[in-house]
Amino acid sequence: MIVIKDLHKNYGSNQILRGIDLRVKKSEVVVVIGPSGSGKSTLLRCVNYLEVPSSGTITINGETITRSTNINKIRAEVGMVFQHFNLFPHMTVLDNITVAPISVRKKSREEAEKKAMELLVRVGLGDKAKAYPSQLSGGQQQRVAIARALAMEPQVMLFDEPTSALDPEMVNEVLDVMKDLAQSGMTMMCVTHEMGFAKQVADRVLFVDQGKILEDTNPEELFSNPKHERTKEFLAKIL
Amino acid sequence: MNSIIEYFQTIDVQFVESTAKLLLLGALVTLKITLVAVSCGVLIGLFVGIAELSNYKLLRFPAKIYVDIIRGTPLLVQIFIIYFALPSILGTRIEPYIAAVVACSINSGAYVAEIFRAGIQSIDKGQFEAGRSLGLTWSQTMSKIVIPQAFRRTIPQLGNEFIAMLKDSSLVSVIGFEELTRKGQLIIAATYRSFEIWTAVAIIYLIMTLTISQFVAYLEKKYNSDTRRK
Repeated sequence: MIVIKDLHKNYGSNQILRGIDLRVKKSEVVVVIGPSGSGKSTLLRCVNYLEVPSSGTITINGETITRSTNINKIRAEVGMVFQHFNLFPHMTVLDNITVAPISVRKKSREEAEKKAMELLVRVGLGDKAKAYPSQLSGGQQQRVAIARALAMEPQVMLFDEPTSALDPEMVNEVLDVMKDLAQSGMTMMCVTHEMGFAKQVADRVLFVDQGKILEDTNPEELFSNPKHERTKEFLAKIL
Repeated sequence: MNSIIEYFQTIDVQFVESTAKLLLLGALVTLKITLVAVSCGVLIGLFVGIAELSNYKLLRFPAKIYVDIIRGTPLLVQIFIIYFALPSILGTRIEPYIAAVVACSINSGAYVAEIFRAGIQSIDKGQFEAGRSLGLTWSQTMSKIVIPQAFRRTIPQLGNEFIAMLKDSSLVSVIGFEELTRKGQLIIAATYRSFEIWTAVAIIYLIMTLTISQFVAYLEKKYNSDTRRK
């Protein structure tokens, strides 16, 4: 589904990613952990080209992204959920969800709204369609953001620290939606600090440090028997 | 004191009526030219403002030069250039109305461009990224996500620009375009009633600017009530 080969990303002389190789299979849930500044968010943002890699290739669904690739087509297949939700504040919840299906997928308004309502019910916010984002709590906003991404019927979902900006009591409502999504067979890449989520849902956990993947294994193995010194240090600090 | 009383005793009702009519006609023309100039200015400003933020030098550079030149020179001089200087090298006369509208539009465009540039820059980068991550194109993201928010946020500044242009449009009186100020001059030339006319002109300007600023405050409230961020 996603194949990343020798991915590098530099900001000037600052090397953020230093040779990432990664394959994510269909329906796989990959959780990326690591200290801040390790490059895990940058890795995720490279997958849908919000960050343009300095070198290396990314292949999604068999299509390798090059300069001539229609990046909008790729992005339509790759949903993204942001740390700060990034809902559109000037639109209702319903419009937030339908704007892309109508503009990109050329769906009719009725069709897009029907699908949006289904998704809102799925994330437990069926009664908030006419609300504006500012009227919702953080957890509700993030669930709308997930629904917005799902409305494009993406093949892959990327989560960039989706619960880091939330009050603690709202973390679970978002994680529940993500768990539900994982069980439905969605291919997912999640950058998160929620180790409980990683243990429970992830097929693989990657430990990223200083722009490299140090460990890539199943969660039991990583949490009980980390190979690298850096991983042990990191886990000792957060668990 | 006596002289003031005597002076007002010379005012007659018919004079007031006919003058008021003329001045109000002038006010209407002032409103019209301001409306046209700022509308054109918003259109110009939108493109120039976006061009200023472009990654392409070929767009950014001319936009910056336009804004710098217009904002760095007096509107009066710009009016002179368009009305007197251009015809002298083109060999054709330009109607005062055309010259006035063109000068004011070009002038307004530069100020509006700066307003929009700042407005667009004030929108969180995450908004743009969210739009692009959904597969929206650059122009779809700008037109549906970024510009509507920037526009709402710049309503107060756009209102100020409208009021500034309303007042500055008095400058086109120098090329004989008959807006409010010019109408005042003409009436005084015929009647010598300098005090009443200029006071009346000032009051009419004041009524217009105050009304507009009330309207802008209303718009600001209306649009920002449902779009508080996050």
